[in-house]
Amino acid sequence: MHVFHLRYRNSQGTLMRILTAVVRRTIDLAYVQAEPSEHAHKVTLLVDVNAKQVGQLCRDWRAIVDVIDVRPGVPIKEFWDYAHVGIPRPPESVGPIETARSATA
Amino acid sequence: MRNGAQIVLECLRAEGVNLAFGYPGGAIMPLYDALEGSGISHVLMRHEQGAVFAAEGYARATGRVGVAIATSGPGATNLVTGIADAKMDSVPLVCITGQVRSPLIGTDAFQETDVFGVTLSLTKWSRLVRAIEDLPGIIAEGFYWARSGRPGPVVIDIPVDILRAGADFCGPVSFIPPRISEHVGSQSTFAATVSALLQQAKKPVVLVGAGARLSGAVADLQRLLDLLNIPTFATVHGLGAVKQDSPYYLGMVGMHGTRAANMALDETDLLLVFGARLDDRVTGDPSRFAPHAKIVHFEIDPAQLDRVRTCELPVIGNLAETIPAFYREAERTQLPDFSAWRAVACGAARAEPRNPGLAHPTKSFLQQLFSRMPKDGTFLADVGQHQMWAAQCYRASSPRGFITSGGLGAMGFALPAAIGVQLAKPGTTVLSISGDGGFQMNIQELATVHRLDLPIKMVIIDNKYLGMVRQWQELFYKRNYAETDLSDNPDFVEIAKAYKISAALITEEEFLDPASSGEVARRLDRFFASSQPELLVFECHPEANVYPMVPSGAALSEMIFEVSEEK
Repeated sequence: MHVFHLRYRNSQGTLMRILTAVVRRTIDLAYVQAEPSEHAHKVTLLVDVNAKQVGQLCRDWRAIVDVIDVRPGVPIKEFWDYAHVGIPRPPESVGPIETARSATA
Repeated sequence: MRNGAQIVLECLRAEGVNLAFGYPGGAIMPLYDALEGSGISHVLMRHEQGAVFAAEGYARATGRVGVAIATSGPGATNLVTGIADAKMDSVPLVCITGQVRSPLIGTDAFQETDVFGVTLSLTKWSRLVRAIEDLPGIIAEGFYWARSGRPGPVVIDIPVDILRAGADFCGPVSFIPPRISEHVGSQSTFAATVSALLQQAKKPVVLVGAGARLSGAVADLQRLLDLLNIPTFATVHGLGAVKQDSPYYLGMVGMHGTRAANMALDETDLLLVFGARLDDRVTGDPSRFAPHAKIVHFEIDPAQLDRVRTCELPVIGNLAETIPAFYREAERTQLPDFSAWRAVACGAARAEPRNPGLAHPTKSFLQQLFSRMPKDGTFLADVGQHQMWAAQCYRASSPRGFITSGGLGAMGFALPAAIGVQLAKPGTTVLSISGDGGFQMNIQELATVHRLDLPIKMVIIDNKYLGMVRQWQELFYKRNYAETDLSDNPDFVEIAKAYKISAALITEEEFLDPASSGEVARRLDRFFASSQPELLVFECHPEANVYPMVPSGAALSEMIFEVSEEK
């Protein structure tokens, strides 16, 4: 697991472009946190990547117009634990019965 | 006071736009309403995909930004293939799309599509306009990003209420980029390092890609290549960037590259790459690509480095700057004598086996076409077997003279793109070649050709198959020609005539018949001499294949050649 810290201008679609660079490589996003930071925004990502993918991702992120800074961080155990245990879960999705009902409505 | 549509058009004019390609619809109607007197000529295509390919053709031929206009929903989604194509091939493109009224966004309104979201991963930059006051800044910034650095596509999505709204307008604005990439031009010592690597090398080679053309560095590159005098080859987008008669030039590399180029890549110990992405069609199996080589990669876009193969020395920057810097260093360095290596790599022993095969008549036909092309002419290839045969036969040295959808491989590209090229370069010869499958993907643009009376020379290589897919089915799927049979093609000559375009048919038998050779030659002469649009259909052998070929996933050294058995 690797941690990346990116600073970016919060313009339309920039965060999505950052995330898409990961997802298009079929890499799971274990943890994402985006927040305002001084005059810009920052996003912290925890992803399971190999050394080659680290380089590719960093270069792809830097090529995004409104990305200001990309810093790979060292893998941090707390992040990993947080990713698996500590993240608040979204509400359970609609179950199969409700899905069937809404589909026939 | 101006309305949003008028502001858009004035800002486009300020960016140097005088020609746009598009197709009207509900959400973009205010823009069309304001077109007259705007100083921008509009070409009505017959499909939005035709419009975006035409804008690409215009941009590829000139280096200027191409502009495509479409309405919301299906109009916008029909642009998507062209946007992806522009991203892959680094084409400066701005797409203006209409959007439903702002209050309706997100309600699944009629003809509403989240085009901003749909194109997010295909664009270099995009905006959904939220206020009329933002229009001048957004258009200026969009054009900046479309043409800066590695060029690419931009989408500007404008709700119809903003196009209709009025606002005080103080004129177009300029965009000042917020930062300059810290990567560009920061490696002042690279030239000495590359020279040192050359000193140690025994079998150096050069690979030329599209970047040499896009950066306007062709003349500098040629000067450098003449100085280095080492085996050189090109990707499909690098064709035309190197003088074809250079004694060190080995032709195209990759899946359908020449034997000499692929063998040299397999043996080299130093590979200098100038502006190429090194995609899978060029590398074959990446783990066995240039297996003995150190790679020096000259590239403007850092994101292209190390995608399939790690390079030892990245040189990030505009080739128009890095090539001259390297040239100066190489010029004052005593380079080793590579003549022995050059003699081996470029020697006759590495020519393709002398087996012309079933594709020989078609390649001979293409050579006859190319031999009639003026030097300032532009050739466009669609996608498929004819594209690779043409790339193998192309011999002109013209930086923007060979245009094709190389990265995305979008069938249907050539005909509408040729419209954009012909409008960008009036008075020059534009030759567009398609397969029978691809031609039918945008066949409706014959109407545009006729309406504008564009003297495009159109050729269909008709083998009554989706030929490249059929070739793979033959070689790798035990000749199970599943759903590639197009033997029920329409009569293309009659179709062209229905569009009031002159058309003729040449069969392979007729072409090969010595008794007909004079007549065929005269027909080809007339075809090129005509000041009208012309369509020529060449019926070729249905099972002709493109060779050499590197099977997908194989190493470049594992080329296969045509066997001599009759089919």
